[in-house]
Amino acid sequence: MNLRVVGANLVVSIKSFYRDKTVVFFRIAFPVILILVFGTIFMERDNEIFDLDVQDLDQTKSSVQIAEAIGVSGRFKITQVAPALNAAQYAKDNKRNLVLIIPKGCEDSLRRRMGLDDPHASVTLTEIHDPSSFGVTTKMQVLNLVLAGINQEMSGKPPFIKSAETSILAKKYRFIEFFVPGIIAMAVMTASLLGAVNVNAELRQKGVLRKLSTTPITRTDWILSNILYQFILAVLSTTVMLLVSYGVFHISLEINAWLPVFVALAVFAFVGLGMVLTRVAKEAESAAAAADALMFPMMFLSGTFFPVEMMPEFLQKFAKVLPLYYVNEGLRAAMVSADNMAALRYAAVIGIFAAVVFVLGIMTTTLSEEAT
Amino acid sequence: MTKEAENAVEVEKLAKRYGDLLAVNDLSFNVRKGEVFALLGPNGAGKTTTVEIIDTIRTPTSGKVSLLGMDVTKKKHDIVPRIGVLPQGFSSFDRITVRETIQYYSRLFCCRNTDVDGLIDLVNLKDKAQEQYKNLSGGLKQRLGIAIALVNDPEVVFLDEPTTGLDPRARREVWKVLLGLKKKGKTVFLTTHYMEEAELLADRVAIIAKGKIIAMDSPAELIEGNVNYMVLTLQSVDEKVFEIVRKMRFEPVYDNHRNIKVRLENTDDVQKILNAVKEGGASFLGLDVRKPNLEGVFLKLTGETLREDPAGERGAE
Repeated sequence: MNLRVVGANLVVSIKSFYRDKTVVFFRIAFPVILILVFGTIFMERDNEIFDLDVQDLDQTKSSVQIAEAIGVSGRFKITQVAPALNAAQYAKDNKRNLVLIIPKGCEDSLRRRMGLDDPHASVTLTEIHDPSSFGVTTKMQVLNLVLAGINQEMSGKPPFIKSAETSILAKKYRFIEFFVPGIIAMAVMTASLLGAVNVNAELRQKGVLRKLSTTPITRTDWILSNILYQFILAVLSTTVMLLVSYGVFHISLEINAWLPVFVALAVFAFVGLGMVLTRVAKEAESAAAAADALMFPMMFLSGTFFPVEMMPEFLQKFAKVLPLYYVNEGLRAAMVSADNMAALRYAAVIGIFAAVVFVLGIMTTTLSEEAT
Repeated sequence: MTKEAENAVEVEKLAKRYGDLLAVNDLSFNVRKGEVFALLGPNGAGKTTTVEIIDTIRTPTSGKVSLLGMDVTKKKHDIVPRIGVLPQGFSSFDRITVRETIQYYSRLFCCRNTDVDGLIDLVNLKDKAQEQYKNLSGGLKQRLGIAIALVNDPEVVFLDEPTTGLDPRARREVWKVLLGLKKKGKTVFLTTHYMEEAELLADRVAIIAKGKIIAMDSPAELIEGNVNYMVLTLQSVDEKVFEIVRKMRFEPVYDNHRNIKVRLENTDDVQKILNAVKEGGASFLGLDVRKPNLEGVFLKLTGETLREDPAGERGAE
């Protein structure tokens, strides 16, 4: 290995990078945009106040009190629906995913229960909902919890069974804290894999690699300079992502030595994988398509956007053969749960994978024309 | 003086096969140190394959190739620092300037004393030194490629079709640079399918067709040894001239511009024809006598013309 040669390549790569504004935008801004968009969506969800349309068919003091009690819970903003309207049609016409109907006779039933102590007297509130709507299930769960609370209140007795929550984590974490390590891992993977594939396939197609094969540069010099270049960009984009996450969402994550370790291992692994792909798929277009075919399953099945545990069991097993899974889990072990042993285990797995594909990359990469 | 010292390149029974295609077939030749050697042939003749085997880009199927006294298949790492290569269809990093590109290649060769400004001057790119590669024209890119091939002050320079695809003006600019290399006494191995390029630049020319060398000598010797006629052209003639020349037992033909062309084997015949035309009361506007060139040599040796095929200019050999 010749450091002067590696350094020369690095300088050319970095100059080529910052002189191409489109590449700079997608490399730095794209993951930040993802964080801002998803962060905003899920931050809202943590403290979300739902809209709830209520149709009061009873129009009595008691039914009004029930609607008010739901509103007082602080989880719903109530909108009254005129009793004359068809509630289902109203929901369709106004794109409402949940309409609560307080039936006629509500006050009579309440009087029988409270005044005459009739245990069989009850009122059934109808929830008209759109099952295809994203988030309606959560909204209904929250509504039913609020209704259970109102029931409990009306009984005049404190609940017998209570629950207490204790987190396994030292701090209270929100979705954004789960999300940011995943986006860091995904950004490093896409940039390293696509960067290696696109740059190398393009240089091969244009004949630049053929020219380089007539210079003293070796395959190891070439791959190492590619890895170093991708590592520098990964550190830069990770720093920007973290700064935005801290600045905008006030995230609370452990920043320790594991972060650069996982970024470096991910760069090694995915640049190496990219080098192997470039060798297998010789044209720039087919190499990019092969990279996409690898990246997309990893992106969605490795726990980047949602926990792997939410997936069916066979997909969970599949996730565990994907290298990005170990980067995701390793970063979360390091940054969220501060579990050094878990981080070490994940680092070992991704480290072995990185070493294998790095060696494969060196073995399969060739600058000369003969192998193409 | 040893054999290695005399010859920069020694090729012996070289063959290269791509599947069923025998691209290079039993080639043997030497390139002397300090000479400009041109491999001349049409597209697909095997020029690029041959040069790429010699400059270590490809490996031979069989045969022996020695460069600067070293076997190219075994001593690539020792050979590469001592040669400079302009590959066919040269390209570089789009967003890197001319100066930065030369500096980059200089660093790859670990050269601490590369005269970057001198190289930029040599290829006449001073005004474009800060221009990014993607903004250069084809001719400027080729000149940059030549400068890069010289960053390590190589003992042998390989230039694979350095002017293919360039317009005539850009081609002449590249020729100027190559003539500069010749003056400096560099050993230059050139491939081309332009006969005038080979004639102008090369000390020796090897004509290659269908993977085989069919003739090799200096351009003058090749012409002298293979073609012993000249062509007289009489411009804008009246029709009597054609008859007068024909009656003298020559074989005149009209070209596309209605000029008469006559193939002559003796210089005295020019005067005889002019006298006969004058005596016959016929007239013409101008005349031109041309010695044959390498095109004629190629035509004689292969029965084919050596013409540029724009569609296949950058095609693989």
